[in-house]
Amino acid sequence: MSLECGVRHVGYESAMGLRPRPAQRIRLGLFAAAVVVFPFVASGYWLDLANQVAIATVGAIGLNILVGYTGQISLGQGAFMAVGAYGAALTTLKWGVPWGVGILLACLLAAVVGVFFGLPSLRLKGLYLAVATLAAQEIAEWTVTHWTAVTGGTEAVVAPAPRLFGARLNGGFEFYWLGVAAAAGTALFAANLFRSRTGRAFVAIRDQDVAAGVIGVDAFKHKLLAFATSSFFVGLAGALTAYYRNIVAWERFTLETSVVYLAMIIVGGLGTIRGSFFGAVLLTLLPATIAGAGRALRDAAPQLAAQLPYVQQAVFGVVIVLFLVFEPKGLSKLWGNVKDYFHVWPFAYRRGETRAS
Amino acid sequence: MKKTTGVHRLPRGLGTLASGRALRSRSAATLCLAGALATAGCGEADDGSGAIRIGAVFDLTGPTADVGTDYANGMMAWVEWTNGRGGIEGRRIDLDWEDYAYDVARAEQAYSRMAGRGVVAFMGWGTGDTEALHARVADDRIPFSSASLSHRLGDPNEAPYNFLVATSYSDQFRIALDWIARDHQAAGEGGSPVVALMHNASPFGLSPARQGGARYAESRGIDLGLHEMPRGAVDYTAELSRIRRRGARYVVIQNTSGPAAQALRDAQSLGMDQTFVCLNWCANALLVRLAGEAAEGMLGTVPYAPLTVDVPGTRVILEHLEARGESPEGKTNAYVQGWWTIAVFGEAMRRVVASGQEPTGAAVKAELESFADFDMGGVTVPLTFTPDDHRGAKGLRLFRVEGGRWTPATEFLQAPPMP
Repeated sequence: MSLECGVRHVGYESAMGLRPRPAQRIRLGLFAAAVVVFPFVASGYWLDLANQVAIATVGAIGLNILVGYTGQISLGQGAFMAVGAYGAALTTLKWGVPWGVGILLACLLAAVVGVFFGLPSLRLKGLYLAVATLAAQEIAEWTVTHWTAVTGGTEAVVAPAPRLFGARLNGGFEFYWLGVAAAAGTALFAANLFRSRTGRAFVAIRDQDVAAGVIGVDAFKHKLLAFATSSFFVGLAGALTAYYRNIVAWERFTLETSVVYLAMIIVGGLGTIRGSFFGAVLLTLLPATIAGAGRALRDAAPQLAAQLPYVQQAVFGVVIVLFLVFEPKGLSKLWGNVKDYFHVWPFAYRRGETRAS
Repeated sequence: MKKTTGVHRLPRGLGTLASGRALRSRSAATLCLAGALATAGCGEADDGSGAIRIGAVFDLTGPTADVGTDYANGMMAWVEWTNGRGGIEGRRIDLDWEDYAYDVARAEQAYSRMAGRGVVAFMGWGTGDTEALHARVADDRIPFSSASLSHRLGDPNEAPYNFLVATSYSDQFRIALDWIARDHQAAGEGGSPVVALMHNASPFGLSPARQGGARYAESRGIDLGLHEMPRGAVDYTAELSRIRRRGARYVVIQNTSGPAAQALRDAQSLGMDQTFVCLNWCANALLVRLAGEAAEGMLGTVPYAPLTVDVPGTRVILEHLEARGESPEGKTNAYVQGWWTIAVFGEAMRRVVASGQEPTGAAVKAELESFADFDMGGVTVPLTFTPDDHRGAKGLRLFRVEGGRWTPATEFLQAPPMP
């Protein structure tokens, strides 16, 4: 909760508020209006992209709780998503529970699995913990592809379409509302979590776990709690994927998925909620944009067509690197710069112009 | 990090904008990137030329790119050939394709974009993307052809808009098993034939056995064992040793050419003399090129004849290649399969347009379902689709590698009925 230049708080209520300033509330209102209007004007393609962004936002916020806020590096994102996706699909398919209950069960299951794989965090930190979570990823992949009796092995599991009052919820337009609700709920929860005692404990552990212990934070307990909370939302992202796509296949939850989500929160901004959203938007739209540009180029220069797919992959990597080079603190910082600039505009404080008295 | 400029930045990045050094800061450059991202990738509109639009996803860079590239080139060649002859009843074909690198999520994304652009048919590729999309194409009424020949997808009750233009994996496998049972009997070895199925670790790999193949093997008294080929493996010695220990005399491979060739080479270095049979996606020239000597004498269920077999269906392709000044060298039967798969949909569209209708997805589907013994130029058995059965071809020829070339080893064999 950094203090901002040019804002005078007159009580704790405004100092602690999520959005104390009118400008913030107006921005949020505009964004909410855009979110509501969007599905009525967007084509099916853009709706599909928006739904992917919504799911990715949930997953990225989940991962950010663990990596960005608590400082526990995880390569097991794909594994926890797989638990959520298979959990949701299989509970509805085999036990016939309603999809809402299925989602909840899947999230809880993911949280339990998350806690289990978070146990090494008692002794391991940094890269060592990353390797331990990598094991979680590999174990999950192996289990999903080999536990044929339950997961169907490499065969895809067909999840029943979620229905609400008889309407199918996995169409682009219908799912949009589910996705937006999930993303908004996750964002709201996370934003409030880090204003609470528990959330502050997470941040304290990230900054210095020994010091956190000294001031009375039970580091191990909170690390496990962070794993549980994070995996819960990551599981939610997996469950949403299962219901939206109708089909659950292990190929969607590989190590590559883990890396893409890490890229999302790093490019978006570690330890910020809006950064998770920005990262989700970027890593969803960038490949689509590159593909679009590739198609345009293909029509313009057919002789390049054979090389284009490779060029596209390279461009993807280069753009990510450029974002990191130009703004290592992520898109969230970039957005912060824009806001800060307009916040005090046109009376920006510049060091060179102040006079010593 | 100390800056020596007199005008210091605060807030960082945009402060420089205000100080007059416009667009030179790091943040500004990032902003440009973000801006470019926001504006690109939009603006798709019908050009109104009456072109018929077909969508497709190809694997040009993913794990099945070895055969996927040829399949894609075959389709694109057919489109070029058709447009070169004035299109379908005077209407150009507009093939909208995207490389999806065998990634189901990217296929879904490509599909929803193309569905929004009004494609009247969609050419899929892998089993994963076909399974993932089969409910959506039914909703959108877009006839779908995949190179995935999963038996289940030929059942209109399961997938009303999916069409199998080649023999299903299950049919191919049963034809192979039938041949094996007869070969075993002819060799007079007695007992039941022991067969190993080496398969890709995916629904594609399991489909021959799962969808009737295993039951059929049981009904014919064949001892069938499944052996998974882990994805990305560079050595199959362990799997092959296990197969040898089991005493299998026949090994059927359901995988693409790259891994299959590796398995053949490993088998050769182990000194195995089992009879190898490749199903569809490894029974091609690429396999022979990759496996060399090790492929000699092996069999393949080849639903589409390679270009080296002289039939009308390959002649038309060779003529097109010659007109383009392109060599048929190195083009596998996946090329022929790509060409003829899209050609079947093209024919359905031609019939729709010729009857004075607008080629919509539903009309094309209805027309396809009236195909009876449609001549495929001898590259495969004549096609028949009915409203109750979307498995167009139920037979094929076994080919054998002789002198580094796939040559027909049998006449057209019909798939034995499901047990």
